[in-house]
Amino acid sequence: MPAAGAVGAGRAGAGPVVELTIEASAHVRLRERLRELWAFREVVWAFAERDARLKYKQAALGIAWAVLQPLMFLGIFVVVFGRIAGVQGEGASYPAFALAALVPWFFVQSTVSFGAQSLLRDGALVRKVYFPREAPIVGAVLSGGLDFVIGLALLLALEPVLGGRLSWTALLALPMWLILATLASGVAMILAALTVYYRDFRYVLPVALQLWMFGSPVAYPLSAVRPQWRALYVAANPAAGVLESFRRVLTQGQAPDPALCAISAAGACAVAWAGYWFFKRMEPGFADAV
Amino acid sequence: MSWAVRFEDVSKRYPAATWGYASLRDDLTRLARSLAASLRGRRAAPPERAALDHVSFEVEQGEPFAIIGPNGAGKTTALKLLSRISFPSAGRVRVRGRVGALIEVGSGIHPELTGRENIWLYGRIMGMSRQEIARRFDQIVEFSELGSVLDMPAKRYSTGMQLRLGFSIASHLDPDVFVVDEALAVGDAGFQARCVERMMSLVAEGRTLLFVSHDLSTVEAVCRRGLFLRDGAIQAVGDTRAVLRQYLEWVDHQQWRRKASGTEVRGRGLVVEGVTLHGMSGEERYVFAAGERVEVRFHVRAESEVPSPWFSLGISDGRPGTLVLCSMLEQDCAFRLPAGRCTVHCVLGPLPLAPRTYELWMSVREQVGAADLVDWSRVGAFRIRLPAEAKGAGGVTAPWLYGPVRVEHRWSLEAAQREASLRPEPAGS
Repeated sequence: MPAAGAVGAGRAGAGPVVELTIEASAHVRLRERLRELWAFREVVWAFAERDARLKYKQAALGIAWAVLQPLMFLGIFVVVFGRIAGVQGEGASYPAFALAALVPWFFVQSTVSFGAQSLLRDGALVRKVYFPREAPIVGAVLSGGLDFVIGLALLLALEPVLGGRLSWTALLALPMWLILATLASGVAMILAALTVYYRDFRYVLPVALQLWMFGSPVAYPLSAVRPQWRALYVAANPAAGVLESFRRVLTQGQAPDPALCAISAAGACAVAWAGYWFFKRMEPGFADAV
Repeated sequence: MSWAVRFEDVSKRYPAATWGYASLRDDLTRLARSLAASLRGRRAAPPERAALDHVSFEVEQGEPFAIIGPNGAGKTTALKLLSRISFPSAGRVRVRGRVGALIEVGSGIHPELTGRENIWLYGRIMGMSRQEIARRFDQIVEFSELGSVLDMPAKRYSTGMQLRLGFSIASHLDPDVFVVDEALAVGDAGFQARCVERMMSLVAEGRTLLFVSHDLSTVEAVCRRGLFLRDGAIQAVGDTRAVLRQYLEWVDHQQWRRKASGTEVRGRGLVVEGVTLHGMSGEERYVFAAGERVEVRFHVRAESEVPSPWFSLGISDGRPGTLVLCSMLEQDCAFRLPAGRCTVHCVLGPLPLAPRTYELWMSVREQVGAADLVDWSRVGAFRIRLPAEAKGAGGVTAPWLYGPVRVEHRWSLEAAQREASLRPEPAGS
């Protein structure tokens, strides 16, 4: 690891010249790393903006995909889980119930898969330009946020039609999105670091994400898990508590279960912290391995 | 002046077999193998290749500094360490001020985005703030000469245009230490000239420049000091021209080694087993000073007696045509070649050759009947280097401008009423 000083502070002609020492070191000081990331916020934002532009430039249907993807899954879910398996919507129609979790789930899925491959995708830059390597990943999370906002708008428009009950609690979707974004960043960083060293993870990733979806209360309610296992389940899969809470605030107009949210938030923070640490630990070799 | 960049005993080693590069499968097999080896009590250290091996040097603030050397010498590795893209295995690199890198520019340009979008996004990723880009946007566009295609996706640009865009963005960064690696390899002559101009103006503004290039005449024109790197180790450091001269001498030496590997030449009834070169005291060597005398020895084996062989010896500088031809017939010299092994000597007068590598050619014919015994063929190579007293500066990178023949000469200027002794200055260098 570089024992880098206050990086990015010393622009030529403005302020004192910063001296930098580049050497091998095994220490990861997360607070310093976070400060550096903040100093590079413009770079993070540039990556986010670029990803957003590219996503909609390369696809013929453009921004509509943010809406179409969850809708297509909704169609499958309604047939398979709603009709065939007969899953109930807990006070709302099954489509309303499923969509309320599908939109936030799509944010997690697309962010993790996009973020995990961002170092390879931007290999040319990683090999040539310095920036904290998490910058493109955080950028991917932010550009995924744009999709989420569009999906959320669709959700808010459709819920009353599908029989959901909307109230002020819908505003809680934003802090809950923050929990998901924290979780997704952590997972994406772990996978990104691994993918740089082992390209195999590229093939594992889509399968793992599908498994994660079916292991989360997206198609079925959290009540499908026995009450005595619920806390453990939510701790093991921090996404579960948030997805369930999304449903509460968006389809039932109720406040989420604070305990569930707290466990999820704590879990998400733990994953993000561990992911960031692992990522930074692996970072010095990225340019050599990409 | 104080330093801007300092390499302190820096080493960078890569594992010879790259761990975790291609696939998990390879690593698992390797892991299993190393476990098996350690169970048997043999613990082999993984083989490593040093891209940089205990390298120390200093670049002063505001100094244009060159790093030259053959491919794989570690030049790019050094720049990567400097720009924090890769990290040293041992030692440390210290930098004062912001580093702006121009390592193979153009690679960051995104093909789907327009030129305008690329300037805004790539510029920020490279470390410019929005305000800086806004302030310099017109300059960047003007420099790249892409004003007319600015709103076209970069994928419709030619390679050269993409490179121009990349260089324009990167060169309008505001770094204290500016790193340029082979950036000028593509791009037309006009753009290359402007890139050099831009580098010079950055240097004039007091920026430190680290320049890696194989374009030695640009290196000579731009840089004041330099470093010759080979196999990860420093061969020479100091004044650019002195370093360039050492590098060129080494290149020349490599070329000579490749050509000099003596081969047997089979003729009709006559085999030339080898040709050796000797100094006047008889010692075998292949490097001579300009103006030195050389003895050539042909080691031949004749199947039967050759009554009147006609040896010819030619010197060429690798281009078509022979520079020097020494023929036995011209000397009216004749001797009988006995059956079996013998050595034919030829002593050459002081060779008026310019410093570089020369090829040795030969043929053998019958003086009577002119039947070819050995065809005209290359039998070796030797190098001429400048005599020790001629160590002037200038023009080291354009040897092709030298004539092959070197003549003692003297320059003078009448108006100054003073004589100056100079080395031949090639035109245009």
